[in-house]
Amino acid sequence: MIDVERLSKSFNGTRALDGFTLHVGAGELFGLVGPNGAGKTTLMKVLSTLLPMDNGTAEIDGLNVNLQTRAVKRLIGYLPDQPGVYQDMSVREFLEFFADAFQLRGTRNRTAVDRALKRSGLADRSEASVEQLSFGMKQRLVLAKTLLHDPKVLLLDEPATGLDPLARIELREQLKQLQSEGITILISSHILSDLEDICTQIALIGGGRNATDAEGHSVLQLRAPQDPVRIYEIELIGDSAPAVNIVNSFTGARTVESSAGRLVAEITGADEQAAALLRALVVAGVNILRFDHRALGLEERYRMVFREKRP
Amino acid sequence: MNPMIRKELRQRMRERRGWLLPSLYLIVLGAVVTFAYFLTTSERGASGIQGSTVGVVLFLTLAYSQLALLLLLVPIFSAGSITIEKEQRTLSGLLTSLLTSRQIWWGKFVSSLLFVLLLLVTSLPVLSMAFAFGGVGPWEVFSATLTTVIILACMSAIGLYCSSAFQRSVHATAVTYATVVAISVVTAILFFVRMAMYETGHRGQAVATGGGWYQIPLDIRVPMYLNPFFFLTASFAPIEQLYPAWITSACVFIAIGALAVVLTLRNLRRRGDL
Repeated sequence: MIDVERLSKSFNGTRALDGFTLHVGAGELFGLVGPNGAGKTTLMKVLSTLLPMDNGTAEIDGLNVNLQTRAVKRLIGYLPDQPGVYQDMSVREFLEFFADAFQLRGTRNRTAVDRALKRSGLADRSEASVEQLSFGMKQRLVLAKTLLHDPKVLLLDEPATGLDPLARIELREQLKQLQSEGITILISSHILSDLEDICTQIALIGGGRNATDAEGHSVLQLRAPQDPVRIYEIELIGDSAPAVNIVNSFTGARTVESSAGRLVAEITGADEQAAALLRALVVAGVNILRFDHRALGLEERYRMVFREKRP
Repeated sequence: MNPMIRKELRQRMRERRGWLLPSLYLIVLGAVVTFAYFLTTSERGASGIQGSTVGVVLFLTLAYSQLALLLLLVPIFSAGSITIEKEQRTLSGLLTSLLTSRQIWWGKFVSSLLFVLLLLVTSLPVLSMAFAFGGVGPWEVFSATLTTVIILACMSAIGLYCSSAFQRSVHATAVTYATVVAISVVTAILFFVRMAMYETGHRGQAVATGGGWYQIPLDIRVPMYLNPFFFLTASFAPIEQLYPAWITSACVFIAIGALAVVLTLRNLRRRGDL
Protein backbone atom coordinates (compact mmCIF):
# COMPACT_ATOMS: atom_id res chain seq x y z
CA MET A 1 0.00 0.00 0.00
CA ILE A 2 2.87 2.39 0.82
CA ASP A 3 5.98 1.93 -1.28
CA VAL A 4 8.97 4.15 -0.73
CA GLU A 5 12.12 3.46 -2.70
CA ARG A 6 15.46 5.21 -2.09
CA LEU A 7 13.77 8.46 -1.08
CA SER A 8 15.94 11.56 -0.63
CA LYS A 9 15.08 15.04 0.54
CA SER A 10 17.44 17.88 1.45
CA PHE A 11 16.92 21.23 3.13
CA ASN A 12 19.59 23.83 2.36
CA GLY A 13 22.19 21.15 1.81
CA THR A 14 21.22 19.08 4.86
CA ARG A 15 19.95 15.62 3.96
CA ALA A 16 16.79 14.90 5.94
CA LEU A 17 16.14 11.71 3.97
CA ASP A 18 18.98 9.87 2.31
CA GLY A 19 17.85 6.91 0.24
CA PHE A 20 15.20 5.66 2.67
CA THR A 21 13.19 2.61 1.62
CA LEU A 22 9.93 1.36 3.13
CA HIS A 23 7.18 -1.06 2.13
CA VAL A 24 3.93 -1.21 4.08
CA GLY A 25 1.34 -3.80 3.13
CA ALA A 26 -2.41 -3.14 2.96
CA GLY A 27 -4.17 -3.26 6.32
CA GLU A 28 -0.97 -3.11 8.36
CA LEU A 29 -0.40 -0.99 11.43
CA PHE A 30 3.19 -0.09 10.78
CA GLY A 31 5.46 1.80 13.17
CA LEU A 32 8.31 4.13 12.37
CA VAL A 33 10.92 4.79 15.04
CA GLY A 34 14.13 6.70 15.18
CA PRO A 35 15.81 9.44 17.18
CA ASN A 36 14.97 13.14 16.84
CA GLY A 37 16.06 14.46 13.45
CA ALA A 38 16.04 10.96 11.94
CA GLY A 39 13.75 12.08 9.10
CA LYS A 40 10.40 10.69 10.32
CA THR A 41 8.45 13.95 9.98
CA THR A 42 10.04 14.69 6.59
CA LEU A 43 8.98 11.24 5.39
CA MET A 44 5.43 11.85 6.63
CA LYS A 45 5.33 15.23 4.89
CA VAL A 46 6.56 13.76 1.62
CA LEU A 47 3.97 10.97 1.79
CA SER A 48 1.21 13.45 2.64
CA THR A 49 2.13 15.53 -0.48
CA LEU A 50 3.23 18.51 1.61
CA LEU A 51 6.87 18.27 0.53
CA PRO A 52 8.19 17.35 -2.90
CA MET A 53 10.96 14.75 -2.83
CA ASP A 54 14.35 15.29 -4.43
CA ASN A 55 15.08 11.73 -5.53
CA GLY A 56 13.59 8.26 -5.36
CA THR A 57 9.96 7.24 -5.57
CA ALA A 58 7.07 7.23 -3.14
CA GLU A 59 3.75 5.62 -3.99
CA ILE A 60 0.54 5.11 -2.10
CA ASP A 61 -1.75 2.46 -3.56
CA GLY A 62 0.26 2.74 -6.77
CA LEU A 63 -0.14 6.53 -7.00
CA ASN A 64 2.95 8.72 -7.18
CA VAL A 65 2.79 11.22 -4.31
CA ASN A 66 4.74 13.83 -6.28
CA LEU A 67 2.75 13.66 -9.48
CA GLN A 68 -0.74 12.49 -8.49
CA THR A 69 -1.16 14.69 -5.43
CA ARG A 70 -4.90 15.18 -5.70
CA ALA A 71 -5.63 11.46 -6.02
CA VAL A 72 -3.22 10.74 -3.16
CA LYS A 73 -4.97 13.35 -0.96
CA ARG A 74 -8.25 11.50 -1.46
CA LEU A 75 -6.57 8.30 -0.22
CA ILE A 76 -4.74 9.56 2.81
CA GLY A 77 -5.52 11.08 6.17
CA TYR A 78 -2.58 12.99 7.62
CA LEU A 79 -2.18 13.91 11.27
CA PRO A 80 0.83 16.21 11.74
CA ASP A 81 3.05 16.15 14.82
CA GLN A 82 1.53 19.35 16.19
CA PRO A 83 -1.94 19.58 14.70
CA GLY A 84 -3.81 22.85 14.97
CA VAL A 85 -7.47 23.66 15.40
CA TYR A 86 -9.62 26.73 14.83
CA GLN A 87 -10.29 27.81 18.39
CA ASP A 88 -13.13 30.18 17.48
CA MET A 89 -15.26 27.51 15.80
CA SER A 90 -17.61 25.03 17.37
CA VAL A 91 -16.71 21.33 17.16
CA ARG A 92 -19.40 20.77 14.52
CA GLU A 93 -18.36 23.82 12.47
CA PHE A 94 -14.75 22.61 12.50
CA LEU A 95 -15.72 19.20 11.15
CA GLU A 96 -18.21 20.67 8.67
CA PHE A 97 -15.53 22.93 7.24
CA PHE A 98 -13.11 20.08 6.66
CA ALA A 99 -15.87 17.83 5.28
CA ASP A 100 -16.57 20.68 2.86
CA ALA A 101 -12.85 20.94 2.08
CA PHE A 102 -12.96 17.24 1.13
CA GLN A 103 -15.88 18.00 -1.18
CA LEU A 104 -18.46 16.24 0.95
CA ARG A 105 -21.62 18.22 0.38
CA GLY A 106 -25.21 18.04 1.64
CA THR A 107 -26.24 14.72 3.17
CA ARG A 108 -22.74 13.24 2.78
CA ASN A 109 -21.35 16.15 4.78
CA ARG A 110 -23.87 15.69 7.60
CA THR A 111 -23.39 11.92 7.68
CA ALA A 112 -19.59 12.22 7.74
CA VAL A 113 -19.69 14.85 10.50
CA ASP A 114 -22.14 12.85 12.64
CA ARG A 115 -20.03 9.73 12.26
CA ALA A 116 -16.86 11.67 13.13
CA LEU A 117 -18.54 13.10 16.23
CA LYS A 118 -19.60 9.62 17.30
CA ARG A 119 -16.21 8.11 16.53
CA SER A 120 -14.36 10.78 18.53
CA GLY A 121 -16.78 10.61 21.43
CA LEU A 122 -17.51 14.33 21.05
CA ALA A 123 -21.15 14.03 19.99
CA ASP A 124 -22.37 15.59 23.23
CA ARG A 125 -20.00 18.51 22.75
CA SER A 126 -20.73 19.20 19.11
CA GLU A 127 -21.90 22.75 19.78
CA ALA A 128 -19.12 23.55 22.24
CA SER A 129 -16.32 25.86 21.19
CA VAL A 130 -13.12 24.06 20.19
CA GLU A 131 -11.31 26.40 22.58
CA GLN A 132 -13.11 24.76 25.52
CA LEU A 133 -11.87 21.24 24.72
CA SER A 134 -9.02 19.60 26.62
CA PHE A 135 -5.80 18.72 24.79
CA GLY A 136 -6.82 15.07 24.53
CA MET A 137 -10.24 16.01 23.15
CA LYS A 138 -8.64 18.31 20.59
CA GLN A 139 -6.39 15.46 19.51
CA ARG A 140 -9.47 13.24 19.13
CA LEU A 141 -11.18 15.97 17.14
CA VAL A 142 -8.21 16.30 14.78
CA LEU A 143 -8.07 12.53 14.31
CA ALA A 144 -11.81 12.53 13.61
CA LYS A 145 -11.25 15.31 11.05
CA THR A 146 -8.52 13.19 9.45
CA LEU A 147 -11.01 10.33 9.02
CA LEU A 148 -13.87 12.42 7.58
CA HIS A 149 -13.32 11.39 3.96
CA ASP A 150 -12.78 7.68 4.72
CA PRO A 151 -9.09 7.49 3.86
CA LYS A 152 -7.55 4.12 3.02
CA VAL A 153 -4.23 5.13 4.52
CA LEU A 154 -3.51 7.03 7.74
CA LEU A 155 -0.22 8.85 8.25
CA LEU A 156 0.14 9.69 11.93
CA ASP A 157 3.12 11.71 13.07
CA GLU A 158 3.60 11.45 16.85
CA PRO A 159 -0.14 11.26 17.58
CA ALA A 160 0.30 10.37 21.26
CA THR A 161 2.61 13.24 22.19
CA GLY A 162 1.22 15.18 25.13
CA LEU A 163 -1.64 12.79 25.80
CA ASP A 164 -2.31 11.53 29.31
CA PRO A 165 -2.16 7.72 29.91
CA LEU A 166 -5.92 7.28 29.58
CA ALA A 167 -6.04 9.22 26.32
CA ARG A 168 -3.12 7.14 25.03
CA ILE A 169 -4.98 3.93 25.81
CA GLU A 170 -8.05 5.28 24.00
CA LEU A 171 -5.91 6.25 21.02
CA ARG A 172 -4.37 2.76 20.88
CA GLU A 173 -7.82 1.17 20.98
CA GLN A 174 -9.04 3.50 18.26
CA LEU A 175 -6.06 2.68 16.03
CA LYS A 176 -6.60 -1.06 16.52
CA GLN A 177 -10.24 -0.56 15.61
CA LEU A 178 -9.29 1.39 12.47
CA GLN A 179 -6.85 -1.34 11.46
CA SER A 180 -9.56 -3.95 11.89
CA GLU A 181 -11.67 -1.85 9.48
CA GLY A 182 -8.95 -2.38 6.85
CA ILE A 183 -7.21 0.99 7.08
CA THR A 184 -3.46 0.93 6.56
CA ILE A 185 -1.71 2.97 9.24
CA LEU A 186 1.83 4.33 9.30
CA ILE A 187 2.57 5.79 12.70
CA SER A 188 5.71 7.45 14.01
CA SER A 189 6.16 7.73 17.74
CA HIS A 190 8.75 7.95 20.50
CA ILE A 191 6.47 6.03 22.85
CA LEU A 192 7.82 2.58 22.08
CA SER A 193 5.54 0.70 24.46
CA ASP A 194 2.53 2.03 22.51
CA LEU A 195 4.00 0.93 19.21
CA GLU A 196 4.89 -2.47 20.65
CA ASP A 197 1.29 -2.91 21.73
CA ILE A 198 -0.35 -2.10 18.42
CA CYS A 199 2.08 -2.42 15.52
CA THR A 200 2.72 -5.50 13.42
CA GLN A 201 6.06 -4.24 12.13
CA ILE A 202 8.38 -1.37 12.89
CA ALA A 203 10.83 0.31 10.55
CA LEU A 204 14.01 1.82 11.94
CA ILE A 205 15.18 5.18 10.63
CA GLY A 206 18.31 7.08 11.54
CA GLY A 207 20.07 9.94 9.75
CA GLY A 208 17.49 9.76 6.97
CA ARG A 209 18.47 6.17 6.13
CA ASN A 210 17.21 2.70 7.01
CA ALA A 211 18.83 1.78 10.31
CA THR A 212 19.51 -1.90 11.06
CA ASP A 213 19.76 -4.01 14.19
CA ALA A 214 22.61 -6.46 14.94
CA GLU A 215 21.09 -9.06 12.61
CA GLY A 216 20.83 -6.56 9.79
CA HIS A 217 17.05 -6.12 10.00
CA SER A 218 15.76 -2.66 9.12
CA VAL A 219 12.20 -3.75 9.85
CA LEU A 220 11.41 -5.41 13.17
CA GLN A 221 8.73 -8.07 13.18
CA LEU A 222 6.71 -7.62 16.36
CA ARG A 223 4.12 -10.27 15.76
CA ALA A 224 6.07 -12.85 13.83
CA PRO A 225 4.01 -16.07 13.80
CA GLN A 226 7.01 -18.35 14.34
CA ASP A 227 10.49 -17.17 15.16
CA PRO A 228 12.93 -20.00 14.32
CA VAL A 229 15.37 -19.03 17.07
CA ARG A 230 13.97 -18.25 20.52
CA ILE A 231 15.56 -17.32 23.80
CA TYR A 232 14.41 -19.05 26.99
CA GLU A 233 15.21 -17.95 30.49
CA ILE A 234 15.41 -20.85 33.01
CA GLU A 235 15.46 -20.41 36.79
CA LEU A 236 16.34 -23.45 38.88
CA ILE A 237 17.27 -24.51 42.40
CA GLY A 238 20.93 -25.36 43.02
CA ASP A 239 23.85 -25.64 40.67
CA SER A 240 23.13 -24.87 37.03
CA ALA A 241 26.01 -27.03 35.62
CA PRO A 242 23.93 -30.25 35.11
CA ALA A 243 21.24 -28.21 33.35
CA VAL A 244 23.85 -26.57 31.11
CA ASN A 245 25.13 -30.00 30.10
CA ILE A 246 21.61 -31.21 29.24
CA VAL A 247 20.85 -28.09 27.22
CA ASN A 248 24.09 -28.27 25.26
CA SER A 249 23.58 -31.98 24.49
CA PHE A 250 20.03 -31.36 23.31
CA THR A 251 19.57 -31.10 19.53
CA GLY A 252 18.80 -27.54 18.41
CA ALA A 253 19.61 -25.99 21.79
CA ARG A 254 22.60 -24.22 23.31
CA THR A 255 23.40 -22.28 26.46
CA VAL A 256 23.86 -18.56 25.88
CA GLU A 257 24.75 -17.61 29.44
CA SER A 258 24.64 -19.28 32.85
CA SER A 259 25.08 -18.37 36.48
CA ALA A 260 24.10 -19.91 39.82
CA GLY A 261 20.41 -20.78 39.68
CA ARG A 262 19.90 -19.28 36.23
CA LEU A 263 20.64 -19.98 32.60
CA VAL A 264 19.66 -18.58 29.25
CA ALA A 265 19.17 -21.04 26.41
CA GLU A 266 18.68 -20.55 22.68
CA ILE A 267 16.31 -23.05 21.10
CA THR A 268 15.83 -23.48 17.38
CA GLY A 269 12.51 -24.92 16.27
CA ALA A 270 8.85 -24.90 17.14
CA ASP A 271 7.18 -24.85 20.59
CA GLU A 272 7.42 -28.66 20.74
CA GLN A 273 11.22 -28.41 20.81
CA ALA A 274 11.08 -26.18 23.93
CA ALA A 275 8.56 -28.53 25.57
CA ALA A 276 10.85 -31.50 24.90
CA LEU A 277 13.83 -29.71 26.47
CA LEU A 278 11.77 -28.82 29.57
CA ARG A 279 10.70 -32.46 29.85
CA ALA A 280 14.34 -33.64 29.55
CA LEU A 281 15.43 -31.25 32.31
CA VAL A 282 12.66 -32.38 34.66
CA VAL A 283 13.30 -36.07 33.95
CA ALA A 284 17.03 -35.53 34.72
CA GLY A 285 16.02 -34.21 38.15
CA VAL A 286 16.68 -30.49 37.62
CA ASN A 287 14.40 -28.47 39.92
CA ILE A 288 12.89 -25.89 37.56
CA LEU A 289 11.33 -22.77 39.08
CA ARG A 290 10.70 -20.87 35.86
CA PHE A 291 10.95 -21.69 32.16
CA ASP A 292 10.13 -18.55 30.17
CA HIS A 293 10.23 -17.44 26.58
CA ARG A 294 12.04 -14.11 26.61
CA ALA A 295 11.06 -11.84 23.73
CA LEU A 296 13.45 -8.95 23.19
CA GLY A 297 11.45 -5.81 23.96
CA LEU A 298 11.23 -3.02 21.42
CA GLU A 299 12.86 -0.63 23.84
CA GLU A 300 15.82 -2.99 24.23
CA ARG A 301 16.12 -3.49 20.49
CA TYR A 302 15.82 0.26 19.89
CA ARG A 303 18.58 0.90 22.43
CA MET A 304 20.81 -1.67 20.75
CA VAL A 305 20.31 -0.06 17.34
CA PHE A 306 20.62 3.60 18.23
CA ARG A 307 22.68 3.77 21.44
CA GLU A 308 26.09 3.45 19.79
CA LYS A 309 25.07 5.78 16.96
CA ARG A 310 24.24 8.63 19.31
CA PRO A 311 26.68 11.54 18.95
CA MET B 1 -19.44 28.46 -2.46
CA ASN B 2 -15.72 28.12 -1.76
CA PRO B 3 -15.51 26.65 1.79
CA MET B 4 -12.58 28.96 2.53
CA ILE B 5 -14.69 32.09 1.93
CA ARG B 6 -17.43 30.84 4.24
CA LYS B 7 -14.92 29.93 6.95
CA GLU B 8 -12.98 33.18 6.67
CA LEU B 9 -16.06 35.41 6.74
CA ARG B 10 -17.51 33.50 9.68
CA GLN B 11 -14.28 33.82 11.66
CA ARG B 12 -13.74 37.46 10.67
CA MET B 13 -17.20 38.60 11.71
CA ARG B 14 -16.80 36.88 15.08
CA GLU B 15 -13.71 38.92 15.90
CA ARG B 16 -14.14 41.97 18.06
CA ARG B 17 -12.63 44.10 15.30
CA GLY B 18 -15.53 42.93 13.10
CA TRP B 19 -17.67 45.70 14.61
CA LEU B 20 -15.03 47.85 16.30
CA LEU B 21 -13.14 48.84 13.17
CA PRO B 22 -16.18 49.93 11.09
CA SER B 23 -17.34 52.01 14.05
CA LEU B 24 -13.97 53.70 14.49
CA TYR B 25 -13.62 54.13 10.76
CA LEU B 26 -16.95 55.95 10.48
CA ILE B 27 -16.22 58.15 13.48
CA VAL B 28 -12.86 59.26 12.03
CA LEU B 29 -14.30 59.74 8.54
CA GLY B 30 -17.28 61.71 9.89
CA ALA B 31 -14.96 63.91 11.93
CA VAL B 32 -12.72 64.65 8.95
CA VAL B 33 -15.65 65.53 6.67
CA THR B 34 -17.29 67.70 9.36
CA PHE B 35 -13.99 69.50 9.88
CA ALA B 36 -13.66 70.06 6.12
CA TYR B 37 -17.23 71.37 5.96
CA PHE B 38 -16.72 73.94 8.71
CA LEU B 39 -13.35 74.96 7.32
CA THR B 40 -14.84 75.61 3.87
CA THR B 41 -17.91 77.48 5.03
CA SER B 42 -16.14 79.60 7.65
CA GLU B 43 -13.37 80.74 5.31
CA ARG B 44 -15.63 82.40 2.78
CA GLY B 45 -18.66 83.05 4.94
CA ALA B 46 -21.78 80.98 4.75
CA SER B 47 -23.57 83.39 2.42
CA GLY B 48 -20.87 83.82 -0.19
CA ILE B 49 -20.18 80.15 -0.90
CA GLN B 50 -21.72 78.01 -3.61
CA GLY B 51 -23.28 74.71 -2.54
CA SER B 52 -21.47 72.90 -5.35
CA THR B 53 -18.11 74.11 -4.01
CA VAL B 54 -18.91 72.63 -0.61
CA GLY B 55 -19.99 69.41 -2.34
CA VAL B 56 -16.72 69.11 -4.27
CA VAL B 57 -14.62 69.87 -1.17
CA LEU B 58 -16.51 67.29 0.88
CA PHE B 59 -16.24 64.72 -1.87
CA LEU B 60 -12.49 65.20 -2.36
CA THR B 61 -11.88 65.20 1.41
CA LEU B 62 -13.88 62.02 1.74
CA ALA B 63 -12.17 60.30 -1.20
CA TYR B 64 -8.61 61.05 -0.06
CA SER B 65 -9.16 60.48 3.66
CA GLN B 66 -11.04 57.26 2.92
CA LEU B 67 -8.17 55.99 0.78
CA ALA B 68 -5.64 56.93 3.47
CA LEU B 69 -7.65 55.15 6.18
CA LEU B 70 -8.25 52.05 4.10
CA LEU B 71 -4.56 51.84 3.14
CA LEU B 72 -3.83 51.76 6.86
CA LEU B 73 -6.42 49.03 7.45
CA VAL B 74 -5.65 46.70 4.51
CA PRO B 75 -2.48 45.20 6.06
CA ILE B 76 -4.43 44.30 9.21
CA PHE B 77 -6.82 42.13 7.21
CA SER B 78 -4.52 40.65 4.60
CA ALA B 79 -1.02 40.32 6.06
CA GLY B 80 -2.02 38.02 8.91
CA SER B 81 -4.30 35.90 6.79
CA ILE B 82 -1.95 33.02 5.91
CA THR B 83 0.55 33.49 8.74
CA ILE B 84 -2.26 32.88 11.24
CA GLU B 85 -2.75 29.44 9.66
CA LYS B 86 0.97 28.79 10.14
CA GLU B 87 0.95 30.12 13.69
CA GLN B 88 -2.00 27.99 14.75
CA ARG B 89 -0.66 25.04 12.71
CA THR B 90 -3.73 24.59 10.56
CA LEU B 91 -2.10 25.21 7.18
CA SER B 92 -1.05 21.58 6.71
CA GLY B 93 -4.70 20.56 7.27
CA LEU B 94 -5.78 22.90 4.47
CA LEU B 95 -3.01 21.82 2.11
CA THR B 96 -3.68 18.10 2.58
CA SER B 97 -7.41 18.58 1.98
CA LEU B 98 -8.86 18.76 -1.51
CA LEU B 99 -8.75 22.55 -1.45
CA THR B 100 -6.44 23.86 -4.17
CA SER B 101 -3.86 26.59 -3.52
CA ARG B 102 -6.01 28.88 -5.69
CA GLN B 103 -9.10 28.19 -3.57
CA ILE B 104 -7.17 28.89 -0.39
CA TRP B 105 -5.78 32.14 -1.84
CA TRP B 106 -9.15 33.20 -3.23
CA GLY B 107 -10.87 32.57 0.11
CA LYS B 108 -8.30 34.66 1.94
CA PHE B 109 -8.36 37.41 -0.71
CA VAL B 110 -12.13 37.69 -0.91
CA SER B 111 -12.60 37.77 2.84
CA SER B 112 -9.95 40.44 3.43
CA LEU B 113 -11.15 42.55 0.50
CA LEU B 114 -14.83 42.13 1.39
CA PHE B 115 -14.23 43.53 4.83
CA VAL B 116 -12.48 46.58 3.40
CA LEU B 117 -15.29 46.97 0.85
CA LEU B 118 -17.75 46.80 3.74
CA LEU B 119 -16.02 49.83 5.18
CA LEU B 120 -16.23 51.52 1.80
CA VAL B 121 -19.98 50.86 1.68
CA THR B 122 -20.54 52.08 5.23
CA SER B 123 -19.16 55.46 4.18
CA LEU B 124 -21.94 55.90 1.59
CA PRO B 125 -24.14 57.96 3.96
CA VAL B 126 -21.23 60.36 4.44
CA LEU B 127 -20.76 60.47 0.68
CA SER B 128 -24.44 61.25 0.18
CA MET B 129 -23.85 64.53 2.04
CA ALA B 130 -21.50 65.60 -0.76
CA PHE B 131 -24.22 64.70 -3.27
CA ALA B 132 -26.71 66.81 -1.41
CA PHE B 133 -24.54 69.90 -1.93
CA GLY B 134 -24.10 69.21 -5.65
CA GLY B 135 -21.03 69.73 -7.83
CA VAL B 136 -20.27 66.01 -7.90
CA GLY B 137 -21.64 63.68 -10.55
CA PRO B 138 -22.11 59.91 -10.65
CA TRP B 139 -19.07 59.54 -12.91
CA GLU B 140 -16.73 61.09 -10.32
CA VAL B 141 -18.14 58.85 -7.63
CA PHE B 142 -17.89 55.76 -9.84
CA SER B 143 -14.33 56.38 -11.05
CA ALA B 144 -13.08 57.30 -7.55
CA THR B 145 -14.69 54.15 -6.08
CA LEU B 146 -13.34 51.94 -8.87
CA THR B 147 -9.86 53.39 -8.39
CA THR B 148 -10.02 52.85 -4.63
CA VAL B 149 -11.12 49.25 -5.14
CA ILE B 150 -8.24 48.57 -7.58
CA ILE B 151 -5.73 50.03 -5.11
CA LEU B 152 -7.16 48.04 -2.20
CA ALA B 153 -7.26 44.81 -4.21
CA CYS B 154 -3.61 45.31 -5.16
CA MET B 155 -2.62 46.04 -1.58
CA SER B 156 -4.58 43.01 -0.33
CA ALA B 157 -2.70 40.84 -2.83
CA ILE B 158 0.61 42.28 -1.59
CA GLY B 159 -0.46 41.66 2.02
CA LEU B 160 -1.30 38.06 1.18
CA TYR B 161 2.05 37.61 -0.54
CA CYS B 162 3.84 38.87 2.59
CA SER B 163 1.64 36.54 4.62
CA SER B 164 2.72 33.57 2.52
CA ALA B 165 6.39 34.55 2.60
CA PHE B 166 6.77 35.09 6.35
CA GLN B 167 6.23 32.76 9.29
CA ARG B 168 4.83 35.32 11.70
CA SER B 169 1.98 37.80 11.35
CA VAL B 170 3.95 40.62 12.94
CA HIS B 171 6.68 40.39 10.27
CA ALA B 172 4.22 40.09 7.39
CA THR B 173 2.21 43.08 8.67
CA ALA B 174 5.34 45.21 9.15
CA VAL B 175 6.55 44.53 5.60
CA THR B 176 3.08 45.25 4.16
CA TYR B 177 2.98 48.57 6.03
CA ALA B 178 6.47 49.35 4.72
CA THR B 179 5.16 48.72 1.20
CA VAL B 180 2.19 51.03 1.82
CA VAL B 181 4.55 53.77 3.04
CA ALA B 182 6.92 53.17 0.13
CA ILE B 183 4.26 53.58 -2.54
CA SER B 184 2.31 56.37 -0.83
CA VAL B 185 5.05 58.53 0.66
CA VAL B 186 8.42 57.55 -0.79
CA THR B 187 7.20 57.81 -4.39
CA ALA B 188 5.80 61.29 -3.69
CA ILE B 189 9.01 62.46 -1.99
CA LEU B 190 11.07 61.04 -4.85
CA PHE B 191 8.91 62.86 -7.37
CA PHE B 192 9.00 66.23 -5.60
CA VAL B 193 12.75 66.10 -4.95
CA ARG B 194 13.52 65.24 -8.56
CA MET B 195 11.01 67.83 -9.75
CA ALA B 196 12.66 70.51 -7.62
CA MET B 197 16.08 69.56 -9.02
CA TYR B 198 14.70 69.62 -12.54
CA GLU B 199 13.10 73.04 -12.07
CA THR B 200 16.33 74.42 -10.64
CA GLY B 201 18.20 73.18 -13.68
CA HIS B 202 15.68 74.68 -16.09
CA ARG B 203 14.99 77.98 -14.36
CA GLY B 204 13.46 80.54 -16.69
CA GLN B 205 12.04 77.94 -19.06
CA ALA B 206 8.31 77.19 -19.15
CA VAL B 207 8.57 73.62 -17.90
CA ALA B 208 7.08 73.80 -14.44
CA THR B 209 4.05 71.76 -13.44
CA GLY B 210 1.95 74.72 -14.47
CA GLY B 211 3.06 73.93 -18.01
CA GLY B 212 1.27 70.59 -17.81
CA TRP B 213 1.84 67.12 -16.30
CA TYR B 214 2.92 65.59 -19.56
CA GLN B 215 5.64 68.19 -20.11
CA ILE B 216 7.50 66.78 -17.12
CA PRO B 217 10.06 64.19 -18.30
CA LEU B 218 8.81 60.61 -18.03
CA ASP B 219 11.63 59.42 -15.74
CA ILE B 220 10.55 62.06 -13.17
CA ARG B 221 6.86 61.18 -13.53
CA VAL B 222 7.32 57.40 -13.30
CA PRO B 223 7.31 57.02 -9.47
CA MET B 224 3.94 58.80 -9.29
CA TYR B 225 2.27 56.08 -11.37
CA LEU B 226 2.90 53.88 -8.35
CA ASN B 227 1.36 56.39 -5.96
CA PRO B 228 -2.22 55.54 -4.89
CA PHE B 229 -3.11 59.19 -4.25
CA PHE B 230 -1.92 60.19 -7.70
CA PHE B 231 -3.94 57.31 -9.13
CA LEU B 232 -7.01 58.60 -7.28
CA THR B 233 -6.35 62.17 -8.50
CA ALA B 234 -6.12 60.88 -12.07
CA SER B 235 -9.56 59.30 -11.68
CA PHE B 236 -11.18 62.74 -11.27
CA ALA B 237 -10.36 63.57 -14.89
CA PRO B 238 -13.18 63.46 -17.47
CA ILE B 239 -13.59 60.05 -19.11
CA GLU B 240 -11.90 61.13 -22.36
CA GLN B 241 -8.80 62.21 -20.43
CA LEU B 242 -8.28 59.01 -18.44
CA TYR B 243 -5.52 57.99 -20.84
CA PRO B 244 -2.61 57.93 -20.21
CA ALA B 245 -2.35 58.88 -16.50
CA TRP B 246 -5.22 56.84 -15.03
CA ILE B 247 -4.83 53.94 -17.47
CA THR B 248 -1.08 53.75 -16.83
CA SER B 249 -1.55 53.76 -13.05
CA ALA B 250 -4.32 51.16 -13.32
CA CYS B 251 -2.07 48.89 -15.40
CA VAL B 252 0.80 49.33 -12.92
CA PHE B 253 -1.39 48.45 -9.91
CA ILE B 254 -3.05 45.51 -11.66
CA ALA B 255 0.37 44.19 -12.79
CA ILE B 256 1.81 44.45 -9.26
CA GLY B 257 -1.29 42.75 -7.85
CA ALA B 258 -1.07 39.95 -10.43
CA LEU B 259 2.61 39.41 -9.66
CA ALA B 260 1.79 39.21 -5.96
CA VAL B 261 -0.89 36.58 -6.71
CA VAL B 262 1.52 34.45 -8.76
CA LEU B 263 4.20 34.61 -6.06
CA THR B 264 1.69 33.81 -3.29
CA LEU B 265 0.41 30.75 -5.16
CA ARG B 266 3.99 29.62 -5.72
CA ASN B 267 4.69 29.94 -1.99
CA LEU B 268 1.55 27.99 -1.12
CA ARG B 269 2.44 25.23 -3.58
CA ARG B 270 6.00 25.03 -2.31
CA ARG B 271 4.73 24.20 1.20
CA GLY B 272 8.21 23.67 2.53
CA ASP B 273 7.92 26.04 5.45
CA LEU B 274 4.87 24.69 7.21
